[in-house]
Amino acid sequence: MISVDKKEVLRYLGYGRSEADIQVMRSIESAIEKLQHAAQPRWLYDVFPLQLGSENQIDFFCFKAHSKHLSKNLKGCEKVVIFAATLGIQVDLLIERYVKLQISQGVIMQAVAAAMIEQFCDECQEEIRQKMELEGWYLRPRFSPGYGDFSLNHQTEIISVLQCPKKIGLTLTDSLLMAPAKSVTAVIGLSRTQQPCHRHGCEACEKKDCAFRR
Amino acid sequence: MTIREKLGKELVFFDGGTGTILQEQGLGAGELPEIWNIEHREAIVSLHKNYLLAGADILKTNTFGANRLKFPGNEGYRLTEIVTAAIQNAKQAINEVGGKQRYIALDIGPTGKLLKPMGDLDFEDACNLFKEVVQIGVACGVDLILIETMSDSYEAKAAILAVKETCDLPVFVTTIYGENGKLLTGGDTESTVALLEGLGVDALGINCGLGPVQMKGICEQLLQYASIPVIVNPNAGLPRSENGKTVFDVTPEQFTDTMEEIAKMGAWVLGGCCGTTPEHIQMLVERCSSIAPVPIVPKERTVVSSYAQAVVIGKSPVIIGERINPTGKSKFKQALREHNLEYILNEGLTQQEKGAHILDVNVGLPEIDEVSMMEKVIKELQSILDLPLQIDTSNFEAMERAMRVYNGKPMINSVNGKQEVMEAVFPLVKKYGGVVVGLALDENGIPETAQGRIEVAEKIYRTAKSYGIESKDIVIDALAMTISSDSGSALVTLETLRRIRDEYHGKTILGVSNISFGLPQREIVNSTFYTMAMQNGLNCGIINPNSEAMMRSYYAFKALSNLDEQCGDYIAHYANQVSNVSAPAKQSDLTLAQAIEKGLKERASELTAELIQTKEALDIINEQLIPALDQVGKGFEKGTVFLPQLLMSAEAAKAAFEVIKTQMERSGQVQEKKGKIILATVKGDIHDIGKNIVKVLLENYSYEVYDLGKDVPPEKIVETAIKENIKLVGLSALMTTTVVNMEATIELLRKEKPDTKIVVGGAVLTPEYAKSIGADCYAKDAMATVHYAQEILG
Repeated sequence: MISVDKKEVLRYLGYGRSEADIQVMRSIESAIEKLQHAAQPRWLYDVFPLQLGSENQIDFFCFKAHSKHLSKNLKGCEKVVIFAATLGIQVDLLIERYVKLQISQGVIMQAVAAAMIEQFCDECQEEIRQKMELEGWYLRPRFSPGYGDFSLNHQTEIISVLQCPKKIGLTLTDSLLMAPAKSVTAVIGLSRTQQPCHRHGCEACEKKDCAFRR
Repeated sequence: MTIREKLGKELVFFDGGTGTILQEQGLGAGELPEIWNIEHREAIVSLHKNYLLAGADILKTNTFGANRLKFPGNEGYRLTEIVTAAIQNAKQAINEVGGKQRYIALDIGPTGKLLKPMGDLDFEDACNLFKEVVQIGVACGVDLILIETMSDSYEAKAAILAVKETCDLPVFVTTIYGENGKLLTGGDTESTVALLEGLGVDALGINCGLGPVQMKGICEQLLQYASIPVIVNPNAGLPRSENGKTVFDVTPEQFTDTMEEIAKMGAWVLGGCCGTTPEHIQMLVERCSSIAPVPIVPKERTVVSSYAQAVVIGKSPVIIGERINPTGKSKFKQALREHNLEYILNEGLTQQEKGAHILDVNVGLPEIDEVSMMEKVIKELQSILDLPLQIDTSNFEAMERAMRVYNGKPMINSVNGKQEVMEAVFPLVKKYGGVVVGLALDENGIPETAQGRIEVAEKIYRTAKSYGIESKDIVIDALAMTISSDSGSALVTLETLRRIRDEYHGKTILGVSNISFGLPQREIVNSTFYTMAMQNGLNCGIINPNSEAMMRSYYAFKALSNLDEQCGDYIAHYANQVSNVSAPAKQSDLTLAQAIEKGLKERASELTAELIQTKEALDIINEQLIPALDQVGKGFEKGTVFLPQLLMSAEAAKAAFEVIKTQMERSGQVQEKKGKIILATVKGDIHDIGKNIVKVLLENYSYEVYDLGKDVPPEKIVETAIKENIKLVGLSALMTTTVVNMEATIELLRKEKPDTKIVVGGAVLTPEYAKSIGADCYAKDAMATVHYAQEILG
């Protein structure tokens, strides 16, 4: 079962550091319970060689990308983990029910599910980290298509390379939306040297005026 | 001997894995294995030959992902080339190896896209994608169609219909289950078997995902439920990653050990999937080919299903919720006329919460287009509820449309003993599957005696059989007729129920409440009759689950009939209920405005109901509702009230408005609306959360909202704007990839309806971005939209 940090849920709901009243907190708890029941989390990854070229060219040996931000993130890496995870379609159905019939709960459900998929990815990443460290590899923070200038189009390649539709039921729509919606694709750099202090997710983002910034 | 003839005479063997072997031979990640049919022909032919030499009876063509989405034809290979080459490779292998008779299965995997409503692939489009492949396969002379690795029962249905509408070839279907015994979309073995058998497949089973050991339990369930041959094509264990390579650990010996057990349990068709090799298949054939197929015992189970669950009609009484039906309900009629699906969905959800197992769906109203409404309501209900549905209509076109788009094996209400009706309904049941209600009446009307009704039932059973529909898929409606006009009528109904149960081992259904038509205090009669009917064998009661009296009969009957273990359900429902309904606990002395500010929905409607006794509706709105909403809205803008509270308040206000609206309608008043607004999530975008947030607020401020839903094409928005003369359109888009469609919508609106203002919102938008695509206003949140509406419409 995936645990959910209620503080993260409140952040997604726009509370920042403010406290929520008891009614909202109860709704959050009930949403966590329902979503934990509905979630069918699945994930997978594969390791590929990596070559960083000039002018921010990146070759994953299963697809190529061009991104300044990702190049920076992967600097010094020799390999890369291509990663995907999803909470499954039941979560979408549950959120949809409330979005249609009780939007206040729908909004809360959606925030809980967002926190839940991040938490799930953290857990998966931890498992990868432990395994890789045994082999002498250290992980960089995960970096998803759509972050910075790493184009959303690469979602298509990641999903195809990992055979996500067949293996974990993760698909893409024509407009590159992931279905199930509560899903993540990412690349995680592997290097021989540990980077003691790197910025994670939110803090690494350059959109500093975002309402949801930590 | 055709493959159909071979089934049951001896065990039949599929080949093993393809993709995993090609990967070892150099198939790159992300490379399409189907291209190898042309570029590495020799590798494919050799793989087929190795499987034939190992003893496989059926070859799967290397066409798992071959469809127009992956081979669109504008560049690279065309779909026809790929599929034709794949079949030729299989044929060549068979010719070169010779020996016993072999069969070629056209292999069809999932499209890789999710179907609507969760994804963006339309059901009919999916069906057409599959049809294209099947047509090529048929033209090239395959022996059967294998639909495999389906994780979504809906997609499996689209593929099966594609085959059935193209050819008469045998169709085998295997789905992929998780270790929890469920499909990715939530279906279990029983619901999947019900769906697949209903659609008339030749064999069903399981493949991929798991190894033979993990499949054993699932196979056991499939064998328990299925009355047709079961196929088992496991992986060579669960995949594991080793130095970046996927490996499967189960050896041919281990594989065969478990497969032998599975064969002895009763599976008729055995083979392998990912990670299995010719060695696995060789050992499997060597050890299992002498095992005699276990005879299949027909399972006399009456089952309906949704995409996620099966409901068995049998021992324990089944509640069919009757509320989704406009008869005698003016509010429901109005909802239908206004296409207010929210009202209908709420009726569905409430009934589920009250304990309904199946929902009857009737949307027949003379002035609406029943065919399109039925399809819409069925799809909408299935997008939020997982209960099986009963399609209730006498319009055969609506019936077919609903049965086609329904995800599962539906209940159909109804057929009767009239020749003409049977001729219209039974072919649909045969094609799409379903459990059909047979009314015990015919051209001569409703028989007055039980004997007469039994004779009609017999005719229905008999005729159904001539269409290939088994008696287990018929539920006889013994017809409840009011005792107010014939005091003996209940006894006739009860006798009919009893005799169908005892003499025909048949299943029965009743619209229970008809029994009391014309009488006062109908619940008293209904609930007692319901108990009597269940005692006489009634399997399905079409009742109102919101009626406490009916539910009492249901729970008490189950407890008294040993159908409720340790009275668990009864206790769960009634242990904490005080025997007499007591007054709700007073929640201090809140004003209506305070209740709304705090987001207390029930309290808000109670207080409104009290207030409306002494105050004018308009005064309540202006003195309490609007000030409360403004207060909360201001708090939201200042950052002291947050989105969940804003919406809870909005919902409380909505509940209060409902009370006022009902009261005004009673006194013949009409509530003034301020103006009409279209809301839509643009084409390509399948999330409507933002749009729905805006909707609830706009409605509270008395705007009439035309909610066009999500993934809405620009043309539809423009068409509605022109038709309803809309002055303000609100558009939502979530992604940069869908903002282009927002821009296209704006462009079309400007051209066709230039006087309409456009407000946009969504995660990726900024004021500058909104301006650049030509919107009049960027709304950063829901309140900003309200303010803009006030500015434009007043």
